[in-house]
Amino acid sequence: MGSVQHLHLVDLIDENVEPTAVIAAAAQGDLAAFEALYRRFAPRLYGLCLRLTGQREAAEDCVQESFVAAWRGLGRFEKRSRFATWLQRIAIRTVIARRRGLRNAHEVGEPATGLPDRPDPAGGAPPLDLERAIAALPEGARDVLVLVGIYGYSHAEAANVLGVAEGTCKAQLHRARGLLSAALGLEES
Amino acid sequence: MKTRVSLDEELAKLSRDVPPPRELWPGVVRGIVRTPRSAPRLSSVPWMAYAASAAGLCLAAALAWVMVQGRPPMTASGSGAASGSGAASGPGAASAPGVAANPAAQGSPLGSPQGSAQGSWQGSPPAGGDSSAGSAANLGEPSDPRYLAARAELERTFNQRLGELDPATRAKIEADLASIRKARDDIRKALASQPDSPVLEQLLASALHDEFDLYDAVVRTTQPTTARI
Repeated sequence: MGSVQHLHLVDLIDENVEPTAVIAAAAQGDLAAFEALYRRFAPRLYGLCLRLTGQREAAEDCVQESFVAAWRGLGRFEKRSRFATWLQRIAIRTVIARRRGLRNAHEVGEPATGLPDRPDPAGGAPPLDLERAIAALPEGARDVLVLVGIYGYSHAEAANVLGVAEGTCKAQLHRARGLLSAALGLEES
Repeated sequence: MKTRVSLDEELAKLSRDVPPPRELWPGVVRGIVRTPRSAPRLSSVPWMAYAASAAGLCLAAALAWVMVQGRPPMTASGSGAASGSGAASGPGAASAPGVAANPAAQGSPLGSPQGSAQGSWQGSPPAGGDSSAGSAANLGEPSDPRYLAARAELERTFNQRLGELDPATRAKIEADLASIRKARDDIRKALASQPDSPVLEQLLASALHDEFDLYDAVVRTTQPTTARI
């Protein structure tokens, strides 16, 4: 697979290590290095896109478009944030841009499919139910819940990448939690 | 009953990573080929010309497949360079039924995507290339004899079926195939002078895939009705 064999592949295994050598090689046009980055980060991006779109095919398209955009923009990646964070920002913007396009086309998507099926060790509501309930949330509420509740964004970060006010972000999270609680039959704490 | 505190716990427990249900890398490569960097760093490598050829061949193969199938080229949900539309959802896509159903393709050294952990395309040592090559360059060529035999058999059947098509359809497919082969040969020439270029290896893999998929699409769609599954 070319020069990627000479790269620090271990960097791609440890989530806490930034694969700087691989990123640098990809930025220089090494497609094999970029594929290694794709292999490492595609599941994270797919999970994010799937939850934001609620549709498998849309998520697949967004992941592909995001990596193409990342390839084109790698030269402008300034390492002020982690590569994964930079990629996720691209993916979120791709999802939002796609939504705008679909809104214009009045496209109706299929129900969410391909969601992760994980056992629930606590024996409570199955995760798949939770995923479906998330997918059924209104877009604005879902976006914030996914970014803040699942992917660990702060309200400021989520508001910035979604292009909304921080107060709006907090309100949407509150709304999302309420809707989810109602959908899953949870009590107020 | 659970509380909303437990809702936050449940959310935090959800896996952030979800493996894509199908191989998306080929679509990424196609998108890269179609939309090169605005400021390419490979200034010494004239691969953009070959990339453009490869993009054309992807489209040609997709069009041929669509024409034979009699289907619209893409769904309304397809968008963007790397989306599942166009060639990515046509014969060149990893999920194309012809490839998936064909054991030769599944065992192919052409980077059958589902089995690839760290690279869908590996340059193999010089080993003769495919029968339709007509090129001196063997860099990055498939070498698995099972694949080569299956490909030769598919090409033989393709040629036979092609002769049974009406002249207009045949001419269209032959024109598409000529485009694919032209691009393939151009990429081979480039690889001969740039043997270490992973981009060119990817492009060659893509070109060979598209040629194979065009054969497969024609063979499958001209299958006698009683023999179809």
